[in-house]
Amino acid sequence: MNIRNAKPDDLMNMQHCNLLCLPENYQMKYYFYHGLSWPQLSYVAEDEGGKIVGYVLAKMEEDPEDSVPHGHITSLAVKRSYRRLGLAKKLMDQASRAMVECFDAKYVSLHVRKSNRAALHLYTETLKFEISEVEPKYYADGEDAYAMRRDLSEFKAVPKDKETCAYAVEQAKKAEISTVMSNLEKVTVS
Amino acid sequence: MPSKNTLPPKENALFKRILKCYEQKQYRNGLKFSKQILTNPKFSEHGETLAMKGLTLNCLGRKEEAYDYVRRGLRNDLQSHVCWHVYGLLQRSDRKYDEAIKCYRNALRWDKDNLQILRDLSLLQIQMRDLEGYKETRYQLLALRPGQRASWIGYAMAFHLLKEFDMALKIVEAFRNTQTPKTMDYEHGELLLYQNLLLRESGKMQEALDHLEKFDSQIVDRLTVSETRGEIYLKLGRYKDAAVIYTDLINRNPENWDYFKGLESATKPETEEIRWKLYTDVESRFPRASAPKRIPLNFTTGDLFRCLVDKYLRNGFHKGVPPLFITLKTVYQDKSKIAVIQELCLGYVESLRDNALFNAADENCEKEPPTALLWVYYYLAQHYDYIGNAQQALHYIDTAIQHTPLLIELYVLKAKLYKHAGDIEEAVRLIDEGQSLDTADRYINSKCAKYMLRANMIQEAADMCSKFTREGVSATDNLNEMQCMWFQTECAAAYQRLGKWGEALKKCHEVDRHFTEIIEDQFDFHTYCMRKMTLRAYVGLLRLEDVLRRHPFYFKAAKIAIEIYLHLHDHPLSDNDADKLFDADNLTPSEMKKLKNKQRKQQKKLEKEKEKQKELEKKDHTNKKQQDQDQDGPKEEELVPEKLAKAENPLDQAIKFLKPLQLLAPERIKTHICAYEIYSRKDKLLLMLQSLKRGCQVDRDNPQLHIYYLRFHILVKQRKSAGTLPESVIKVLDIEMEKLYGNKDSTTLNDEFLSRNQNSVLHRASAARMMYELNPDPNSQAKALQLATAVNSDLSGVSPKNCRDVLEFMCRGDLGKCEAETLSYQEQCHKLFPHVPSFHIPSSQSEQIVTNGNMWS
Repeated sequence: MNIRNAKPDDLMNMQHCNLLCLPENYQMKYYFYHGLSWPQLSYVAEDEGGKIVGYVLAKMEEDPEDSVPHGHITSLAVKRSYRRLGLAKKLMDQASRAMVECFDAKYVSLHVRKSNRAALHLYTETLKFEISEVEPKYYADGEDAYAMRRDLSEFKAVPKDKETCAYAVEQAKKAEISTVMSNLEKVTVS
Repeated sequence: MPSKNTLPPKENALFKRILKCYEQKQYRNGLKFSKQILTNPKFSEHGETLAMKGLTLNCLGRKEEAYDYVRRGLRNDLQSHVCWHVYGLLQRSDRKYDEAIKCYRNALRWDKDNLQILRDLSLLQIQMRDLEGYKETRYQLLALRPGQRASWIGYAMAFHLLKEFDMALKIVEAFRNTQTPKTMDYEHGELLLYQNLLLRESGKMQEALDHLEKFDSQIVDRLTVSETRGEIYLKLGRYKDAAVIYTDLINRNPENWDYFKGLESATKPETEEIRWKLYTDVESRFPRASAPKRIPLNFTTGDLFRCLVDKYLRNGFHKGVPPLFITLKTVYQDKSKIAVIQELCLGYVESLRDNALFNAADENCEKEPPTALLWVYYYLAQHYDYIGNAQQALHYIDTAIQHTPLLIELYVLKAKLYKHAGDIEEAVRLIDEGQSLDTADRYINSKCAKYMLRANMIQEAADMCSKFTREGVSATDNLNEMQCMWFQTECAAAYQRLGKWGEALKKCHEVDRHFTEIIEDQFDFHTYCMRKMTLRAYVGLLRLEDVLRRHPFYFKAAKIAIEIYLHLHDHPLSDNDADKLFDADNLTPSEMKKLKNKQRKQQKKLEKEKEKQKELEKKDHTNKKQQDQDQDGPKEEELVPEKLAKAENPLDQAIKFLKPLQLLAPERIKTHICAYEIYSRKDKLLLMLQSLKRGCQVDRDNPQLHIYYLRFHILVKQRKSAGTLPESVIKVLDIEMEKLYGNKDSTTLNDEFLSRNQNSVLHRASAARMMYELNPDPNSQAKALQLATAVNSDLSGVSPKNCRDVLEFMCRGDLGKCEAETLSYQEQCHKLFPHVPSFHIPSSQSEQIVTNGNMWS
């Protein structure tokens, strides 16, 4: 399955995938709102025919209470017939990295139904989310939600920086200490 | 310029409060204040107050009064920009955009620099894609408010959409020069990327690259920077640089197939081995990534393929990956690869059964878990289904179920196998069983509902869906509200099969309205995106909306609607003709009986449901009323099935659905077939010709198109000899017919068509139908029947669906009277496809056999 950033063309097919898989549904305008406010954050998984088989619809919290910039997962779905390919994790990792790069997000949050054990397992075991609080009666049908969070600092030091660091150290063997210091500085600043 | 009818200070203050109330949506208070002004006899005809009162009433859903007041206000004060603006807003709320634009223009005549009106006008212009008008209005806005960034961006956008790139670039550059970026400045980065998009769309690749390099540190969206650079490097032929970029991109996301494509284009591997090595390199860095394991299966051949697919399959079976087959579907385009996979899998079955190993020779390996064998069975069932061997497919799925009886995936697959074999009712039973094993999963719930719709069980499907729709509303209403188009298109198809034309049309119109609404959704984003600076996404949105009805959901709905309107044109419903039960012409007797029974049951259920709904609505009444009152959008006319089925001009209705298809789906043959059908009923020769020509461009040998192709040939000949055609039409026809038909006669054309497609069941049937139509004598009938009813294994397209089509042609009399042949064809098909109900020949004992459960002994 191909995993890529979602384009405006994908939004209708994401809505279709959502309606097939999840009880929480939204009208198209809400998908547009995501895709046009934070175009970098949503991702899709598609099969070779271009059919959307999974997606993550994500946003930035607009006025965070804790004034810490952070992302939020509005919706994450993978069709049942495409499970066990690791798509959810791959989608989430791409979205998370974009949150850090483009919006300096410190963590990402989401809500999950208390009764949804499969999702809870995915979030805690595979995706390293932690329960931050319980939100009573969060869902329209009266069910409670767990509010969960995942720290995103691991996405801050992207592999490329590490490579550049290694490169800088390599240079150290050949050059004056001062140039190395300035090289390293550049790396840490960027 | 203020209007001449100014109010004294006290009333003027009240008027200002009306405006404020309107902005803050306090409509009731607004009405109160307007009453205070209007009850004073001196101001009872004050134009602007009357207009505002009307506008406020409109927001409360009182449309007729709204129009009365606004028009009265305008008549009393034709020189007030407020009155014209209000009239424009009212029309805009009714989506009468052209009218609204006229009003705004009138308003601007009395107050040419009014920012609010200019902004409103520009929104309508972009929404209507009046790009020239938009450009003018944006110019005025820029001149009035040069300090606002939206002024600059909007003006640049106008040029961009008109493809005047140089101007667009100049404006963006002038604006960019006034900006000082902060650190991590997302919006500034978006502006730069928009500028870069302009450069690329204008074809300036080198400049785009320089631009990216120059501003690299000011752009936070690193992914777009890299993707764009990769693209440009490839276009400029800088392959080494491109290879570096694509390697980086793969490191970032090793599951993106485009990046591998980019890497291949950059490195141009000469041999299969070298090409494969690109992927093994990535695999060693990312052992968990799937793409580098999967993609090489598409291009490797021979032993290398065998070795790789062996590893791929074993890994999947070992881990237990249910979608393994789906991930390999495209590999199945290559017949030799299918054979390799089959051989491997059959080998695994044997060895796993005996030794719990994929290969008996792997003695030193750890034993496989029992699930490995299960997943091989599951895989083989899909494999055989794909290659059209229903018996083997069913054998393997049954073996799998014996192995592990309660796995949902197995039931889902078995249901699918029965669906493919043509027995939808058994499919429904099976998927319902699967669904009952996990009622908390909406995906399987949706699948189950979909199968029910395929079996025309509409109420059951709605009940199934209702487990996941909002309580207190009927499932179908909630699904409509949520724009759930898969349900609605399937539902329309089911109603169509049941001959419930009105109900089916209602669903089609609902889908059409979703598309209208989604186009409407753009409105707010015209201003929003300028503020957010997400200009690339915004351009993407505009381009999407321009072709929105290209979506398959629209196509499905439009096709059904057109077919039904054609039917209604041919067989109009009379007043005492309540939705005719079904189109009996196309059904075999056994199907007819079944249908009748089912319909009786459904009717009963439906009535019950309606009653229940009424009660619910009563309860909801007070609630609903409140909601209705504060509506912004126009209230749509209610879709009433009975009315829809009695459309006065069914062909004109059909054309409404056809137009978007012609514009946006010209690559689909069905578009032109529909067009031909409509225009032939309108007797529009030239439009029929146009449809044929377009159809021929898509697929000259399409079986259905072929029929119309020949019929048109004959029709034109008749018309010409009748001498009723105008000279000008004859002229056009002569030129075009020559191109389309050469100088051949119909029989020759039919023979040629047949010889080009003699191995395809559907093509043979079409040729046979025309053979008989051209020459309805016993000799050619015999030939035609022989042609149409052959089902030997050399032929392609011997499938339940196609054979059913052929049977339908025979029952309908397309091949003349041929009862004995029909019966024997049915028998033949029954042997081939024992699960298809319409091939089953009812006998006097059939009822009894059914109850014994041995329907197909």
